[in-house]
Amino acid sequence: MVKTTSLTFLTSEYNQYFIITDEVEKAVAESGVTEGIVTVITRHTTTGVTTNEALECLESDIKEFLGRLAPEDHPYAHARMLRDYGSTAGNPTGHLKSLIMGNHVHFLIHEGKIDRGGAQDVYFCEFDGPSSRTIMIQVMGE
Amino acid sequence: MFIDIHVLPAFYEPINGDERKEELRHEALDIHLNGIAKLEHIKNQMRCAGLDKMALLAIDYSSEHGEPVVSNDEIRTLVDCEPDRFIGIASVDPLMPCAADELERAFADLKLKGLHLHLGRTHIMPGDERLAPLYKICEAYNKPIIFNAGMSWEPGSLAKYGRPIEYEELAATHPSLRICLSRFGWPWAEECAMLMVKYPNVYTDTGILYFDNAREFFDRLFKHEVALTWIDRSLRHQVMFGSNNPRFEQIRMAQALDGLGLRESTLELIKGGNAIEFLGGLD
Repeated sequence: MVKTTSLTFLTSEYNQYFIITDEVEKAVAESGVTEGIVTVITRHTTTGVTTNEALECLESDIKEFLGRLAPEDHPYAHARMLRDYGSTAGNPTGHLKSLIMGNHVHFLIHEGKIDRGGAQDVYFCEFDGPSSRTIMIQVMGE
Repeated sequence: MFIDIHVLPAFYEPINGDERKEELRHEALDIHLNGIAKLEHIKNQMRCAGLDKMALLAIDYSSEHGEPVVSNDEIRTLVDCEPDRFIGIASVDPLMPCAADELERAFADLKLKGLHLHLGRTHIMPGDERLAPLYKICEAYNKPIIFNAGMSWEPGSLAKYGRPIEYEELAATHPSLRICLSRFGWPWAEECAMLMVKYPNVYTDTGILYFDNAREFFDRLFKHEVALTWIDRSLRHQVMFGSNNPRFEQIRMAQALDGLGLRESTLELIKGGNAIEFLGGLD
C-alpha cells in the first residue's frame, strides 16, 4: 500500500526551522500502514528536511554553522538575472544550505507508529523565506 | 516610516483566480515561476524587509493586450484589503482614447495617489501630444507620475523611450509636476542624476538589480556610476526606495541600502520621507 499526502504552509522568516513530527505521525496513522516506511520530502531547492534533537540551543548552533558554511556576503555565481524567472536570483545561500541539509528523511514504521529515537524530531528548514512551501509525505507498507 | 514606492502586485491572491488573466500577467511582465502570493505572505515579506507601506502600481497596456494587466479597480481592491499598508497608484494606456477619462476616474472616484506610465512599452516619447491631457490631470489633482525609466525587462519594451534626457523638457515645462524616473534611469544613472540636481521635481527609485546581488550592484551603481556623496549631499530629497518587486527582492535590497554608508538622516529620507513628499502626503 502507498499513501501520499502533501502539506502546504507559509513560512514567515528568511531562515526558519519547523518541527513537523506531529504532522508526519498523523499521516502515518491515517495511512493504515502498520509495517513499512515513511518518506518526508520537500518540493523545493532552498529548503531542507532533516531529523535532529528539538532543542533551542541546537537550532541556534545549526543556524550559525550553516551561516558559516554559506555566508551571505560571498561572491556567488548564482547572483544573476535568470531568464526563466525574469528576476534576479538572490538566494544562493538557500540552495547551498539546502544541499547541506538534504531534501528528505525516511523513518521505519512499526506497529503503526514511526520508529524514531527519543531525540529524533522531524524538521522542515526554510532557507529562503518568507515563502509558500509544500512537503510530501509518502507512506509505504502493509 | 519605510515605504517601497515601486511594487507590481500582479500576482497577489485577491486579484487572481482567473487562469487566463494570470497567464496574461506572466507573459506581459515576463515574470514566471513565482506563484500567487497570499496577503499573509506579502505582510511577512514586508515585515522581514522592515517595510511599513508599499505603493502598488497598476499596469495598463490595453492597446497591446485589450485589457489592463492590473487595472485601477484591482488596485483599489488591494488597497481596501490593507489600507494601512498599501498605497494605490493608477495606470492608463495613453494610446487608448479613454485614457484621460479613466485617469480622472482613478483620481476622483478610486482615490488613487499617482499615475504609473511605461512609455517604453507604448513606444511614445514623454513629449508626445497624447500625454498632454494626462499631465494636465495630474497637475490639477496634484498627483505625481512614476515613469518606467532606463532599461525594462518587460517584453516589447524599448529603452530609448526611458532615457532620462528625454524627460528634461517635461521636467522643465511642468515644474509643479513631480515625476519619478524609476530605477535611476539605469544604465543612464549619471543622466538621471544630472536631471535631479537641476530639477527638484524629478525623483528616482532604487528598483534595479539586473546584475550581481543587491549589495554588489548597489555598490557599483551608487559608488561608481554615480558618487555616494552626490546622493548624500545633493540628491538626498529625490531618491526613494523602490524594489520593483516581484522582479527583485525587497529584503536584500533594503539590507543593501542600509549598508551603503549613507548618513542616517539621508537613509530616512530615501526610505520614507521622500516618498511622502513625492506622493503629496499619505492622506
